[in-house]
Amino acid sequence: MPIHEKSLIRSEDLITHEELVLDGVDVSGHWSTFIENRAVTDYNEAMEDEISALPGGEFIHRCWQCGSCTNACTVNAINPDFNPRFWIYLIRTGMEEELLRDKDIIWQCVSCNKCTYACPRDVNPEGVMKATAHWLELKGHTEKKPSMIFDEEFTEQIVTTGKIEDGRVLRRFFAKTGQPLFQEWLVALVRSLVFRLPIGLLTKMGLATLFHPRTRGWSRSRAAMEEYIAERETENRKALGLESKS
Amino acid sequence: MSLPVLVVGGGPAGLSASRALAAAGQSVVLVEKEDRLGGAPILSGYAKLVPSGEWAKDAIGGMVDQVEAHKLIAAQTGITVKGFSGKPGAFKAVLSNGKTIKASAAILTTGFTHFDSVNKPEWGFGTYPDVVTTTQIEQMLSSGAGIKCPSDGREPERVAILLCVGSRDRQIGRTWCSKICCTVSANIAMEIREALPKCNVYIYYMDIRTFGLYEDRYYWESQEKHKVKYIKARIAEVTSDGKRLIVKGEDTLVKRPITIPFDMVVHAIGMDPNVDNMTLSAIFDVKLQEHGFIGRGLAYSAIAETSRPGVFVAGAATGPETIDDSIAQGQAAAMSAIALARQGTLETAK
Repeated sequence: MPIHEKSLIRSEDLITHEELVLDGVDVSGHWSTFIENRAVTDYNEAMEDEISALPGGEFIHRCWQCGSCTNACTVNAINPDFNPRFWIYLIRTGMEEELLRDKDIIWQCVSCNKCTYACPRDVNPEGVMKATAHWLELKGHTEKKPSMIFDEEFTEQIVTTGKIEDGRVLRRFFAKTGQPLFQEWLVALVRSLVFRLPIGLLTKMGLATLFHPRTRGWSRSRAAMEEYIAERETENRKALGLESKS
Repeated sequence: MSLPVLVVGGGPAGLSASRALAAAGQSVVLVEKEDRLGGAPILSGYAKLVPSGEWAKDAIGGMVDQVEAHKLIAAQTGITVKGFSGKPGAFKAVLSNGKTIKASAAILTTGFTHFDSVNKPEWGFGTYPDVVTTTQIEQMLSSGAGIKCPSDGREPERVAILLCVGSRDRQIGRTWCSKICCTVSANIAMEIREALPKCNVYIYYMDIRTFGLYEDRYYWESQEKHKVKYIKARIAEVTSDGKRLIVKGEDTLVKRPITIPFDMVVHAIGMDPNVDNMTLSAIFDVKLQEHGFIGRGLAYSAIAETSRPGVFVAGAATGPETIDDSIAQGQAAAMSAIALARQGTLETAK
């Protein structure tokens, strides 16, 4: 019997063999369509431990599935598939494949923290979203988003110099994401700056672009920040059972 | 000297009623059908009690010692009441040993019977040795034997506790909530996690009813400190793949069927009316309520009444009850009984 209402079934759960003969009967094509078993056959108990080991995920085990977070959620109001309550449950029971179906929207949390104030058990769902996005990335489930590359460039500059030079952040960001430097809007922006800004300020900006000035006495702050970042990174990777980067 | 008060049943409520009566100088005849006092906590070998955390053998055992030592209490074990007649202030009870005693009042503290899990065969009790009841887990803990799978003595790595076994189930005519099983299960889950830190415990629930102050001390603490996992699902059946138990049901929160392997499945069994309640009802001429527990009389204008004047009731005889509340109710029933016993011997005010 062919399956008529295929639209009701997730496409990845439908299996059709191009050529299949069962007991001498040719059942090739849609005649051999089967539905994958949806039963959950085991709990992956490592998943909750891993995510709770990442910053923000510490209190995930407190969740009792009331849905206050999802009700309060800014993103959920726009996209009903964005459901922190559901993801927390999937993580706690270890339903990894189910969670991965939403890997491209989990990172969309805007950190408004409405959930944080709604949660009766202090789960800190916003932190859990952050930890989950981080987990997806560390595990290699998600590619680096352009926004992440921008953040990295931004952070790196602060850590090394204690200052932000916008032109440099932009240039490096474009280079890393393979975008042309001479973008129409940017050219227009720079042109209007050149014509309108006072000479003194323009000179200062030009020098900053050439010489990368640093905040005075920054080296100790830089060392402390780098040490902390490395320490955190090692801990996170260890919690997920990944090899250390360095 | 007034006639003694007859207390029927030597569990927490009966012990507390006897102790309260004796403390007020009232003589008591306490009859217990089993061969020792203590009721379910002692006879079924409970471990640590909720919410005191004291071992049942110390807490309830201590009450037994007090009752046995008191000279105003005549405790008789292995005895039942066969006949009961007369009127308030002058009852006559015929005991199973042929003796007849006179009593001014009677207090029924006849308790409950644990639900027999065999009546829910789909959940595997009686079929698979590793399907046990909360009572058996209590015994494993109280005896010091530890949590082990009965089939081969191994320590379980994953335990499922099924709530509402014998409660809230029209299929077996038990529409009541047994009140204590959620809290007891959370407590047991924490004890298992403490004894076997590598063993994960899952509680399958429909609702969690850890009422009053049990909420954070048991439900929350089991989740927050002991990482016990709660899954909202009523299990359809427990089977086996030959090695481990397989728990099947629907995980309602993800709308997906589950077939999860477990080493041990624990039934959180409910409280049935005492199996002897029909007999007790006939002997003492007291009405049973709709579920088969002993019916109460007036709720607000009298204390611990049954349908028959002079016969009082306390504890789990009236419905699912906690040990601490049974003890309080025993004391309340003693108040009513003593008022009757002293009628005529005390000057009434006004």
